[in-house]
Amino acid sequence: MKILVTDDSRVMRQIVVRTLRQAGFAGHEIIEAENGRQCVELVNTEQPGLVLSDWNMPEMNGIDALQALRAVGNQVPFGFVTSEGSDDMRARATAAGALFLIAKPFTAETFQEHLSGLL
Amino acid sequence: MSAIAPETTDVQAVTEQVWSSFLGDEEPLIPVFDAPPAFAAGECWSSAVSISGGWTGTVTVEVSALLATQLTRLMLGFDPTEPVADEDIADAVGELVNMVGGNIKSLMPGPSTLTLPIVAAGRAAFSSDSREVARLDARWTSEPVRVSVHVPAP
Repeated sequence: MKILVTDDSRVMRQIVVRTLRQAGFAGHEIIEAENGRQCVELVNTEQPGLVLSDWNMPEMNGIDALQALRAVGNQVPFGFVTSEGSDDMRARATAAGALFLIAKPFTAETFQEHLSGLL
Repeated sequence: MSAIAPETTDVQAVTEQVWSSFLGDEEPLIPVFDAPPAFAAGECWSSAVSISGGWTGTVTVEVSALLATQLTRLMLGFDPTEPVADEDIADAVGELVNMVGGNIKSLMPGPSTLTLPIVAAGRAAFSSDSREVARLDARWTSEPVRVSVHVPAP
């Protein structure tokens, strides 16, 4: 599967990719975006099977990217990987159509828990 | 003024969780209560995020330059001797405060918003109209770490 990892931090994108491997999800094709706008563009051009996205990013944040995708009928599986795991953020993510919200810091076990049904 | 504020124990718990998740458990973060660690002038990095809304405050992380380089190598999966660019150090130190700040935001009344991290080479500077409400001083691989929380002064 093609997985789009979106985060403005290169360090965090590397950690997410490494954690996917550690969680037993090696062998997938990884593409990367630095913000929500790039994420929307790459979803349209690359058609990934899953998006893992940060929430707070410059130019366009993750929730706006998700809402932009859903507004045009794109139903790509979308999950947040973000430093904010409050009930309010989780409710907003779910309402916008996200499958899950993984709060940073996370472990490989957290990735397994949320992704085992998808990958 | 924010009447509610995180305790130093909250800051310690969040920071230790971030540290152990991304930097491993081999070298624990050791809190220092008696003698705050000294930062050599010009030899450190600092980063901050602000929270505003249901609770308002600023979370700041300061680490020595050596520690910043070490943690960047670990987070990027680099070899212990591999050179590290300032851009990567700024990214890693910014991500640390983003995680600590995001988790502290989750402990405080909401809803509120979290800014993107601001990162600088050097010590953090604080506005005279802010007041420190919690501070964790610690060492990691013998190098100093400080995590502090400030709120607007009354």
